[in-house]
Amino acid sequence: MAKYQDSHKFTMNLERLPNEEKLSLCRKYYLGGFAFLPFLWLVNVVWFFREAFVKPAYTEQLQIKTYVKRSALGLLLWVAVLTTWITIFQHFRAEWGEVGDYLSFTIPLGIP
Amino acid sequence: ELTLKYGAKHVIMLFIPVTLCMVVVVATIKSVSFYTEKTDQQLIYTPFTENTPSVGRRLLNSVLNTIIMISVIVVMTIFLVVLYKYRCYKFIHGWLILSSLMLLFWFSFMYLGEVFKTYNLAVDYPTVGLIIWNFGAVGMICIHWKGPLQLQQAYLILISALMALVFIKYLPEWSAWVILGAISVYDLVAVLSPKGPLRMLVETAQERNEPIFPALIYSSAMVWTVGMASPMDAQRSEHGSDEEAEQSGGRVEPERRQPRTFPEDDVEEDSEFIRDHVLVGKATATGGDWNTTLTCFVAILI
Repeated sequence: MAKYQDSHKFTMNLERLPNEEKLSLCRKYYLGGFAFLPFLWLVNVVWFFREAFVKPAYTEQLQIKTYVKRSALGLLLWVAVLTTWITIFQHFRAEWGEVGDYLSFTIPLGIP
Repeated sequence: ELTLKYGAKHVIMLFIPVTLCMVVVVATIKSVSFYTEKTDQQLIYTPFTENTPSVGRRLLNSVLNTIIMISVIVVMTIFLVVLYKYRCYKFIHGWLILSSLMLLFWFSFMYLGEVFKTYNLAVDYPTVGLIIWNFGAVGMICIHWKGPLQLQQAYLILISALMALVFIKYLPEWSAWVILGAISVYDLVAVLSPKGPLRMLVETAQERNEPIFPALIYSSAMVWTVGMASPMDAQRSEHGSDEEAEQSGGRVEPERRQPRTFPEDDVEEDSEFIRDHVLVGKATATGGDWNTTLTCFVAILI
């Protein structure tokens, strides 16, 4: 319980966190993103961007930088994959029958 | 004089999230017809139908619905405060998690589905799955663990909006109005009166110098005047009631939703009214800062 409270005391502002905690948070967000969570990577990048690139250097900054960079990379990868998939899907949807269809109603444009 | 200035800042900082919430709800109502379609389905909290022929009967049913609803809410609030007082944190914690889970995943799934239907987009299961999973998981992380403050607030706003929308759909009209009035009164009572459960909740938390559960209390970046160690902020006591009732499947903060008027959506002025009510309640919750309350009252009158 105390741990829960403490963590929330600090959430409000990244500034007030000691550097080790920042690093740990960044790392956790980075690792979490591997669970099919590109959004988490996005949050990681945006949130820690200032920490990693704008602030004057401190010991943990190098590692934070790596995490942010890798998160950004992962994010881009996901975006590419998703875009490709959506394009394929939208293009070939009619020809596939009902495979993988979420919406059972389709755009009424003469689709078999 | 200093307190007055300070109070005004409070008010403004509350305005923003409430307004944002309203914006989301209004935008949805206007565009997605799903949420305004009449349905005979109703929440179990409001068993009396409103499709009755006579006005008197309809009014009676509304009042009855309201009584049921309000009693549920009151019971829930008291239950929650009792739990809090006796330090049953795990229970509360679990409850909050479950209810926010349901909100974040199920309701947003429905919402997304309806939006896609409205715009006639075809989307596949994998994509939707990914979207909902990301939205929900990051939401859980932000609210219940650590995350950037603004994102946390954004999520809480979105959740409120979602709940409001569900509520709008399933609550009959007249009941909605009566309930709204009753809730406002209850809110004021619960917060203002020294025995009010919500006030007790706040004070207990203050005594214990504990930050209140984030999903329990919406936090904007304001600092309390009355000495609290952690920079805690204005409370959305409704949030507390929401979470608890949410568990049993679906009560919504009436304050934050758009009550429907008969056929047109004359929503803007209604939201103002609600919002101001909320503000008074909230302002009062900040440790009896009466100057703030007065400021709010004046603002409402204008």
